[in-house]
Amino acid sequence: MSMKGGCTILLQGKPDGQVRILPAAEVFSIPRTTKRFNFSTLCMKDGQKVRRGTVLALDPSSYSVPLLSPCSGTVTTTKEAGHIRIERDAGRETEPDLADFDFPHAPQSADSKGKIRYSLLRNGAWQFLRDAYTAALPDPAGAPQAVIVSTVNLEPFTARGDVQIRNQISSFTRGLEHLQSLLEYQPIYVVFPKVNSAFAQKVRDSVRGYAWVRLLETSTVYPADDFALIARSLGLRSSTGKGVVWGLRTEGVIAMDRVITAHDSVTTRIIGVGGLGIPHPTHLEAPVGYPLSTIREFCGIQAASRVVSGGVFTGTRIGTEQLGIDSECNGITVIPEPEEREFLSFARPCFAKRSYSRAFASAVLPRFFERFTTALRGENRACISCGYCSEVCPARIVPSAIHKLLYQNNIDEVESFLPGRCIGCGLCSYVCPSKIELAAEIIRVRDTIRQEQSIGKAGH
Amino acid sequence: MKWLLRILEDLHPHFGPHGALRRFGPLFEAIDNFFFSSRVSTPGAPHIRDPIDLKRFMTMVVVGLLPCTAAGIYFFGLRVLAVIIVSYVVGGIAEVFFAIIRKEKINEGFLVTGLIFPLVLPPTLPLWMVALGVLFGVVVGKELFGGTGRNLFNPAIAGRCFLALGYPVAMSSGWVIPGSGLAGRLFQYVSVTTVDAITKATPLGLAKQGTITDILPLFVGNVAGCIGETSGLAIVAGGLFLLWTRVANWRIVVSVLVFSSVLAGALHHVSPHSFAPALWHLGAGGLLFGAFFMATDPVTCPATNAGKWIFGALVGIVTILIRSFSGYVEGVMFAILIGNTVAPLLDEMVYKIQMKRLANEA
Repeated sequence: MSMKGGCTILLQGKPDGQVRILPAAEVFSIPRTTKRFNFSTLCMKDGQKVRRGTVLALDPSSYSVPLLSPCSGTVTTTKEAGHIRIERDAGRETEPDLADFDFPHAPQSADSKGKIRYSLLRNGAWQFLRDAYTAALPDPAGAPQAVIVSTVNLEPFTARGDVQIRNQISSFTRGLEHLQSLLEYQPIYVVFPKVNSAFAQKVRDSVRGYAWVRLLETSTVYPADDFALIARSLGLRSSTGKGVVWGLRTEGVIAMDRVITAHDSVTTRIIGVGGLGIPHPTHLEAPVGYPLSTIREFCGIQAASRVVSGGVFTGTRIGTEQLGIDSECNGITVIPEPEEREFLSFARPCFAKRSYSRAFASAVLPRFFERFTTALRGENRACISCGYCSEVCPARIVPSAIHKLLYQNNIDEVESFLPGRCIGCGLCSYVCPSKIELAAEIIRVRDTIRQEQSIGKAGH
Repeated sequence: MKWLLRILEDLHPHFGPHGALRRFGPLFEAIDNFFFSSRVSTPGAPHIRDPIDLKRFMTMVVVGLLPCTAAGIYFFGLRVLAVIIVSYVVGGIAEVFFAIIRKEKINEGFLVTGLIFPLVLPPTLPLWMVALGVLFGVVVGKELFGGTGRNLFNPAIAGRCFLALGYPVAMSSGWVIPGSGLAGRLFQYVSVTTVDAITKATPLGLAKQGTITDILPLFVGNVAGCIGETSGLAIVAGGLFLLWTRVANWRIVVSVLVFSSVLAGALHHVSPHSFAPALWHLGAGGLLFGAFFMATDPVTCPATNAGKWIFGALVGIVTILIRSFSGYVEGVMFAILIGNTVAPLLDEMVYKIQMKRLANEA
């Protein structure tokens, strides 16, 4: 599988291969909003006792995807705005003092596969699935036309697929078999950086005969692991009536195994912690709601740095109002803020600055890992049509043209430039010499168009 | 340089939104960011950015122009420096003036315009004409369209075209016999009154009278002509550097040079006596300079790759047609102006086809 465009940027601060266990926390603060979900329906009262896996809240707009308690303890919903707080019961597992919340049942018409899907939803594994094109949560009542499982996470610094899988290969392959059991005949594409690697062969050997698994090799240039790009290159269309394409990553497959084989619920995540703002980039096994202040201390996050949930290209800034790890977090990236002002920086040879252009002396050096800060590294100017954005765009659209139409307020014309194909990788903003927020602009247009389309569909 | 940084940071509040000198904010910002990189950080995702900015981008073009500038000074004397200084100062003032009036940022694009413009002028052009030309190029060619990035025509060519049409005699005579030897004319100031250094014969002019200049002098640059256009060697050296940095697009250069050579070669093949050979066309006049430094201006050339190929072909072909069949001796300037005019049209056509194909895909 090949990709046009894309760009690999080597950054210092890559998480090592360890997964470290955090010290036990006494208080968990679980954010009620994540990137995709808004857990607006509370299922708990203040002071109620819960155990691990109890449903705390639901998102009614995403098939009632639940927010699960990471431990047993006492719930407080009013103390921290936007969070559900759980104080852990010291030492012992208490019985909940109220009957468990009655989670929506699978529809009567659901077959055995449908019932398993609802059990995945109830126990926190379904939320790892996404529609390959829109990233929305797929309907547990529906079947996909194909499934894409990616074992690579190319965006720095999200949890590495190989680290998540380590010591869990059997869990991963069992998860693939479970996944297959949810489907009729639809293919599962498992994406590897190298199909001939020992790991990929091991996966193939152990699922042979169970799952209809096809191995796919992907380029390791960012963002070749994007589900929409993979689905497009496989010719899986989004607009046909054959159902959506499911996308999920390693952690999702392992989570399915956990729910189906061990009858357990998924309340912890493996997250990558990387970037130059911490001394030892690594991975953490973090329960949902684990206090960020403890993580700051544990990892030694420097004060003058930006903390991002997710990777450097698509992550969102974690503000001071967020207290704990949210249920969708797959990495924490810590980027130092710029401090020094460099004298005549535009005229220096610059051996340490890596650029998409070759306008810096570093272009004559072999590839190296760059130091980086959150600096914009230039001033905002009008677009000069240098063409870098359309060269790197893996979706093959023309960000500069869309920007110019938006600048002219020519919204009707924008749609003919297909902003809907944007996968939100952020590379156009990254390479822009005029420092235009191309990605943010295009994502905004894309989402507006998608919203209008879904309203239009609902209206008919 | 801490002292300078301290001075600038002390001055900063005066030019801020509440300072007494806020009108001159753009000027201060330009000076401040010229000396020290900005401390602004990214507003959101992506949280890190490529180090390239417009200052660096334009600086690369200036670096690419240095070989021909140096060659110009060597062959035509110190007056070249005076022409460059006038161009930068007058054009710079116009740029700052418009930035202050429009309350916008001063654009780095002028770093290039201010140097490219003098390089396409005859070495003895009166300095007031240089000033007038650069003023026209910056004001009418660029600022009236909304500044760098929104201009339709290459500002340097707009300025040159204005002079060529307004002052045809000054723009086509007063050529300097190039210097030679170790020092060239490095220590001479040659103006129109320096009688023994003035000639009327450029390779292009001579060709109209039937004399074809040898290729070697055209390549080295020791022929009469515009300041930065004579030395093929210096142009190609700087131009290749520019292509390598990805600041200029190779498709345009290749397209211009290939199509002009093919047409010139074909004409020469048909009638060797009436038409000059292709290699001569490449070396004479401003074809190389235009191909490497003026046609590649990203703002005024097409943005699409297919558009760039067609644009290059158009520029190359029109240049040779004007040189061979019209009364003008040189056609590069008009060819690029025509190319600039159709560039948005080419883009629109290419986009339409591209997007139709993409929409059918998924």
